[in-house]
This record gives sequence, structure tokens and C-alpha cells, in this order.
Amino acid sequence: MSELMTIVRREFLERVRSRSFVLSTFLFPLLMGGLFGILSRMGQGGGERHLVIVDQAPAGVGQTVQQVLSTPAPPTGGDDANSYRIERVARPLEQVRGELIRRVQAKEIDGWLYLPANVVQSGEAQYRARNVADFSVVGDLTRAVTRGVQAARLQTSGIAPAQVAALVQPAKLSTAAITRKGEEGGDAKQTFWLAYIVGLLTYMMILIYGMNVLRSVLEEKTNKIAEVIVSSMNASHLMLGKILGVGSVALLQVGIWAGLTVATSRSGTLAARFHIPESMMKSASVPPATLAVTLAFFVLGFFLYSAVYAALGAAVNSEQEAQQFQIFAILPLVLPVLFLVRIVGDPLGRVATVLGLIPFTAPVTMAMRLATAPVPPAQIAASLGLLAVTVLAVAWIAGKIYRVGILSTGKKPSLAELGQWLRTA
Amino acid sequence: MNDALILDGVSKRYSAHTAVDDLSLAVPTGTIYGILGPNGAGKSTTLRMVMNIIARDAGRISLLGADPAAGRGVLRRVGFLPEERGIYRKMKVTDVIVFFAELKGMERRAARASASEWLDRMGLGDWKQAKVEMLSKGMQQKVQFIATVIHDPELLILDEPQSGLDPVNQEVLRDTMLDARDRGKTVIFSTHNMEQAEQLCEHVCIIAQGRKVLDGRLRDVQRENVGNRWYVEFDGGSDQVSRFMRGETRYGAVAPHGEGWRVEMEPAADPRPLMAALAALDVPVVRFERERKSLHEIFIDRVSGAVTPQRRPEVAHV
Repeated sequence: MSELMTIVRREFLERVRSRSFVLSTFLFPLLMGGLFGILSRMGQGGGERHLVIVDQAPAGVGQTVQQVLSTPAPPTGGDDANSYRIERVARPLEQVRGELIRRVQAKEIDGWLYLPANVVQSGEAQYRARNVADFSVVGDLTRAVTRGVQAARLQTSGIAPAQVAALVQPAKLSTAAITRKGEEGGDAKQTFWLAYIVGLLTYMMILIYGMNVLRSVLEEKTNKIAEVIVSSMNASHLMLGKILGVGSVALLQVGIWAGLTVATSRSGTLAARFHIPESMMKSASVPPATLAVTLAFFVLGFFLYSAVYAALGAAVNSEQEAQQFQIFAILPLVLPVLFLVRIVGDPLGRVATVLGLIPFTAPVTMAMRLATAPVPPAQIAASLGLLAVTVLAVAWIAGKIYRVGILSTGKKPSLAELGQWLRTA
Repeated sequence: MNDALILDGVSKRYSAHTAVDDLSLAVPTGTIYGILGPNGAGKSTTLRMVMNIIARDAGRISLLGADPAAGRGVLRRVGFLPEERGIYRKMKVTDVIVFFAELKGMERRAARASASEWLDRMGLGDWKQAKVEMLSKGMQQKVQFIATVIHDPELLILDEPQSGLDPVNQEVLRDTMLDARDRGKTVIFSTHNMEQAEQLCEHVCIIAQGRKVLDGRLRDVQRENVGNRWYVEFDGGSDQVSRFMRGETRYGAVAPHGEGWRVEMEPAADPRPLMAALAALDVPVVRFERERKSLHEIFIDRVSGAVTPQRRPEVAHV
């Protein structure tokens, strides 16, 4: 037991004392803060877009569209509201098209909106721009044209122009998630951010610290330190000690970040300095039970992957060799990140539920789900249980590969040889 | 129990070849024992089996009275220096040594004190708080050596301990090995450097191609492998002597050697006719003696036929 502690202590101290730990612990939040700052600023500005309305529509439609677009979005509209500078020309499109194309290419304008003469009947307008993939702009334009067309239609059906404005006034939707206690929690944006951050953090930490375990195993193997160590202690204990030591470093780092987040959220000035969106700050208040379960998933996930990485490190002879196999070890971890939008968008849906139950994808998936929705306790229990059993099974197999692998020399083993390792160990 | 280590019919086979073949030897407690052999002879494999790093396929090993494969307890009483060197590069020198000492059951404070003493003794006093990666290769090797001996083991097993050390540090290492021996510890080391072995060992075992060629007390080995080579020295009369010796082919190959001459006779030949011929010369003979063979020569004699160089296998999984 004392040898195990010696290993844990060494792995922990070597990392915590290193410059890279201090740097990453304190630079990472700064970087993230800066990144969110930039993102939210870009969102806020949304950039001003300079558009030309080629207006062939009946009188009034073009003006309404221009007015809707030019009116600044209400402050509650969110960070990513766009603003528009509008020029309106009343000449036929064929006459101005060449000129418009030239202006778009010269970056004088972003694009043009063509309102044909029959727009009120057909309801069809055209938008041509350098970038038509910005859905928020397309959405804004659709809304604006709809309002212009609707107003025109209402007027033709005999409603007084004064009433029209009130009739076409759009509705606003406020969002809030229902928490387990039945209270209203953060809005859609907050929950998305939280799920995004927690999921990504879980993924990154498992990956980074899993790689740490791999590197540590490889160092001892290639340096033959392993030969000396296993003459004083059980190889399985050495592996366990490594995982525990590296894992405590990861927990310490997460702990420091959690502390920093709480401290920053208490002090509004700090948040403001880093331009951290208010919504992110609110999301820092998560019920302790959810926090504990998320942490449990993180810890078990780390155990699972670091056992895989330890076995991988023991089986190969260099990091280059390890890289060839790493993809298999990373793929299931990265899968939930690829499905991020699906999982966060529908945290109780089928994709989220299935990925949440598969042990190799569960840690990241569940971190995202727990942050967004009240996941049924039965699912949490089932997922945790499956994960725990898998951790034990994988650790058992990994331990065998590890025991043989760290003492082996020569070329990397074939699958058949790995099988033999499993039998002999 | 007077032997620190006994190997009895130990073998290790890999799919393509046999690394160690039916090896038996005994290392008396309190001696320095050399395992000698060319590259790929099976020295490291043997030591790794003793340390239970790899499993033997056949035979019996008794290490300090216990089978190393049966439990780890006995291995903690051993200090093992593997052939390929390496220690944690990012750690501080003292911390590395203390880490290994703690693994062997030493208390941390005692380990610190002892590490400090050892570092002073090995001339690394100024580097105690330096990171290992700052040290030269030779210095790192000394640190690793300290980590091997820090818990004052009853038995030291050193695989090629001298390789990579400069002459000064080889001397330091030699002294520590002798010192350990004087304090009643046993030292086993492998080498292919025969001169070092000759200086240090009381017992040797020469292996080649996984098989034992000879073993025993160095003195006995040298006596038994004395050969039939004679050294003759005259008191002056160089021209006459020279003419005589150069013309002589009846007794064996003659060649000038040092101040005198060396006559390599057939192994079974009788030296007395040569003595008689020398006595008949006008010049007085001041020395006529049988030359002792160096370990190097014995090694070459016994091993050269058996060795194909670089037999080390490419694949050597457990």
C-alpha cells in the first residue's frame, strides 16, 4: 500500500510542480474568457450589414421592409442581433444587376434583396450576397419581407393602414428550462453554454490526462524504469497508482477552475473585464447533486480511458506508434462532441439517451445532458452502473496487457501476441 | 545457505531461438561475481529472469534463499541496475533517489539523508536540487546507481554497470562495489570487459550463446586454463640469443615479447627440451616461466568458436 502511495505522490507532484500545469491552470480560463469575450462581441455587433433593396414592389412594401430592418433590435433580442444599413433603389433589377455585382465584389455592399413586382401575391423575394449561409441574416430578411408583404395584403383587404402596424407586430418568445425542482432555470442560451462548456471540458480533460497516463507509462517502459519498479511492487498497483496520481491532478485543476468561476461570478467587474456573457455566469449556479453526478461521470470516464491509455502505452514502444492506435481510443470520446447539437438540442431524445448509456460515450454525453435537462434518475443510475462495470472490466484487461507490456521489448505486438499476453498475465 | 544466488538448469526459449540454455551457477555470499560473455550471450536475459522481469521456461532459481517468482518480498532486498539506463528526466536528482528508496521500503527522511550522503560521495553534491535532464549522461548514470544501492541491499545485480562511464567514474563504481563486498554484501555484475572483471571478481561465469562455458573462482579458472605459453628472458647477449630464438621452430611459435621472448607451445608439449636447449646457450637465462593467461585470452579461447556476433534477437517478448 505504501508503494502505491509513493507512486501516486510522485505522479501528482511531478505534474503539479511543473510549469506547464501552472500555466495551463491559469492561462486556460483567461483564454476561454478571452475567446468568449471575442465571440460575444462578434455576436453583439453581428456586424453591420450593408444591403441594397431593389424595390419593384407596390408602394409601401419596400418602405416597411427597410423600416423593419433598420429598426435596432430590442435589447432583449440577444447578443447576436444584426444591424443593417439599407439603400433602396427603385429601378428594375436587370438595369442595376451588373453594378450590384461589382459593388458586392468590391465589398462596398454585402448583398441585395430583390422585391419583385408580384411579391405581394407570390410572397417570393430574392436575396443575393457574398455570404448567404448566415442564418440569422436570412431569418431577419425573411421576417422583414413577411411583414412588408403581410402589411400590403392586409391593406388591400381593406384594413386601415393605422391598424396594420399593430396587427403584424411579431410575438416574442422567452425561454426557460424546467429544473428537477420544478423551478424555472436558465434560458436556452445559458443552458446551451453550460452544456457546451461542461461537455467540452469533460472531453478535453479526459483526453489530455489520459494522454498523460500514456506518456507516463511509455516513459517508464522505454527508460526501463518499469523493470526496477516492478521488482519492488505489483505492476497492477503501479498502473493504479499512475491513474490515481494523474487523476488527482485533473481533479485539482478542475477544482481550481470551479473556484475561479465562482469567484469571477461573484465579482461582476471581473466578468465584465473578460467580457464573459452574463448568461454564462448565471449558469455557474448548478444544484450540488447535479454537480456530484457530473463529477462521478468525469471520474469514471477518466478511469475508463486512462486504463485504455495505460494499456496502449504499455503495448507500444513510442508515441508515434501509439498515435496509430489512438484514433480507436479517441473516437468514442469524440462522438458526443460531434453530436453536441443533437444532444443539447434534445437532451432527453433518442440519440442523447443511447449515447448516454454506452459506457464509452456516456461521460461526455451525460455531462452535456445533465447540464441541459432533468435526466430521469433511472437513466443516470443505469448509465453510472454500466460505466462502473465497464471500468472494472476494462481495467482488468488493461492491467493484464500493461503487466506484460511494460516489461516487453522489441517490436510492437500483433493482435495474436496481445491475446497471448492476456492469457499469460 | 552460503550462496546468495543459485541457478539450476535455467532456460529461456523464444520461438526462434534459445536465449539461455540449461544454465546452472552459484554465487557465494559476500563475493563479487562476474557474468561474462559476448553480446547476445544471454547475460541480460539471465539477470532479468533472476529479477523475475521475465519468466523462465525451466529450471530453479534461489535468490537469497527464495524463489523470486514466488513473491516480491525477496526482490526488495536486491538492488537492480538494468542494462539500458534511464530515470525520470523531469524530476530533481534527490527526489528520484528518494522515490526509489521509498519503493524499497525506506522511510522518506532517512532516504533523504542517505541520498545526500551518496551524492556527496559520488561527486554530485552540487546537483542535488538540479533536474535530472540537466545532468550529463555519466552523471545520470551515477544517480541511477545511487538509486540502486540507496536501500543498502544484501545483493546488488548490475547489468553492464561500467558501460558509458569514464575511467574516473569507473574507478568510483569499482570502489563502491568493493566497499559493498567488504561490508558483507554480494555483487553480481555482467560485462564483456574482461580486464574489469579480472580486477574485480573473485568468481566468474562465462556464457556464450546462452550456455555456460566455464565458471568458478577466478584463480581456479586461470590455473585450469593456464595454457602452454612460456616466457624466456636472457641476461644480455642479444645477437646470439636473437639468432637462436629466431631460428627455433621445434618447440612452438616464438616471438619477441617485452624484454624477452614468448614461446607458444602445443598444449600437450613438454617444455623440458626447450629448457635443455636454452641451458646449452652461452647466455644465462634469468627468467623462464609459464605465462598466466589473461581472462580475455581465456575468454577468446573458449568462446571464439561458439560465437556468431550480434545474435541478439529482434523480437523478445516475454
